[in-house]
Amino acid sequence: MTIWEKLQAVDRRILYLILAVCVSAGLFITIEIPTDPDPSSRDLYQAIMDIPEGKTVIIQSDWTNSTRGESMGHFENLLRLLMSRNLKFVFYSAADPIAPQVARTTLARIIKERKDEGLYEYQIGEDYIDLGYFANAEATNLNMGIDLRNAWSGKRTKKAGAGEISIWESPVLKDVRKIEDAGMMIVVTASASIDVAVQRLNKKVSIGAMVTGVVGPTVLPFYQAKQVNGVAVGLKGVYDLEYCMANGVNLKDEDGNIKVLNKGGKEYPKITEGKTLARGSKYYGTLHIALILLILAVVLGNVGMAMSRKKPGAKRS
Amino acid sequence: MSYLAIKLTLAVFATFGLYSVLYRETRFYRFFEHIYLGLAAGYTLVATWKDTLYTEWWIKMLGKTDVSADGVATVASNGFWIYSILAPIGLMGYMVFSKKHNWMSKIPIGIILGIWSGQQLEVWWNTYGPQIYSSALPVIPTTWSFVPAQPVAGELYASQALTNAIFIFTLISAFSYFLFSFELKGKFLTGLNTMGRWMLMIGFGAIFGSTVMARFALVIDRMSYIWNEWLQGAILGGS
Repeated sequence: MTIWEKLQAVDRRILYLILAVCVSAGLFITIEIPTDPDPSSRDLYQAIMDIPEGKTVIIQSDWTNSTRGESMGHFENLLRLLMSRNLKFVFYSAADPIAPQVARTTLARIIKERKDEGLYEYQIGEDYIDLGYFANAEATNLNMGIDLRNAWSGKRTKKAGAGEISIWESPVLKDVRKIEDAGMMIVVTASASIDVAVQRLNKKVSIGAMVTGVVGPTVLPFYQAKQVNGVAVGLKGVYDLEYCMANGVNLKDEDGNIKVLNKGGKEYPKITEGKTLARGSKYYGTLHIALILLILAVVLGNVGMAMSRKKPGAKRS
Repeated sequence: MSYLAIKLTLAVFATFGLYSVLYRETRFYRFFEHIYLGLAAGYTLVATWKDTLYTEWWIKMLGKTDVSADGVATVASNGFWIYSILAPIGLMGYMVFSKKHNWMSKIPIGIILGIWSGQQLEVWWNTYGPQIYSSALPVIPTTWSFVPAQPVAGELYASQALTNAIFIFTLISAFSYFLFSFELKGKFLTGLNTMGRWMLMIGFGAIFGSTVMARFALVIDRMSYIWNEWLQGAILGGS
């Protein structure tokens, strides 16, 4: 048996082991990959930075641990961005009953992270509201577009020093009477719930999307048609947004270089408080290692197949 | 061992349990699979009641009374008993399991289908209308230069026109692939059809690549969970 034939017959479990080892090693090596953020990610950053002060942001968080690798990075970036801008927000899920708890856990961690850094600690009822789970995305988004106060009627929130109050008495929503009053709606999703939000709400509120690599290709036509104002897709989208947060857009650094360029666009500042390069930058280098391994396996497999066919008397399938 | 460390250790066991299917499907894998399914189903049931049915249906049906600190009860919201008819309509859906009464399940299904179908015209237009409109792109440049650092509004630069032309060609050729109403004859139509197939394959390849990256992200995150969050964070007590 030649080396090429041996390569053809490698047990798939050995490949899984090599992948696990390479990915693990990648997590311990800090590799900073220079990037040119996708226009869709850059536009999302700009759209969030353009939200007027004092406006409330609606977050539809439709992801669970099954897409933690991408969606948690998206959600963390979004929270860091909103908190650095002192924007109030509400969050809920319209796709999965488990999603609100996953969002709560991530939010609690980001609040603690900011507290440890000596930054303002967001308070429930004062700065954000947790609306929980709404069954049926179609009905939820449709109702939100028709009458937001009716769609969310009956919902209450905890507030420090006030016990439990109606969400409409909270500083987060007291000035929001209809969805048009929201600064932006951002859907963090691993499913087609972004389609439903666009279908029902895109004429009423500015929509941004943070989606997984699987969902990304179906959302890009919405971006091309300006039905959403920005999309961060997959792990690249997570890193893109972190890169924009760390470097701003059209912003010159100390050497006079612009790291994120948007020709003809205005200048957007970088985020100066809290973490910017975080999960995305950590995973992005590791992703490259995994992809190199994949390409190597495909090339070796094909070369091995070609070489085995060249062997005299080899069967051609 | 702290509560957090115990919790994270159990999650690491679950990760190994579920990934063990890559080696072989064993009882170890099935044990964790059943735990996962049971937890998800139980959690869904509670969350559906607590977050949706209780606030959106039960409270609206019964109304709500607020009791002040001195014990005086006031009506916070009136009850609307009309909401009570939703329960039997919804429960009729479960009659699908009865051979004798399964016709009753068609009533809620019919209502859902009717509402859903009625919305589809608007939904279709909201989805595709702007996309059709935005596909009409100019392909003739107003200037032959590339996009400068400060583009002039209203100008269509050569590179932008080329991008638009590639988009329009891809759109038309991909559409032509789905022309099944008549036989395509002639070099132009068959060539366009072949190019359409190529464009679709390139598109599917890009989508597949994006999907592969998404799957890698899951593995990377699980490894990060084991090494960074569990081992470094909870067991060794690092950051």
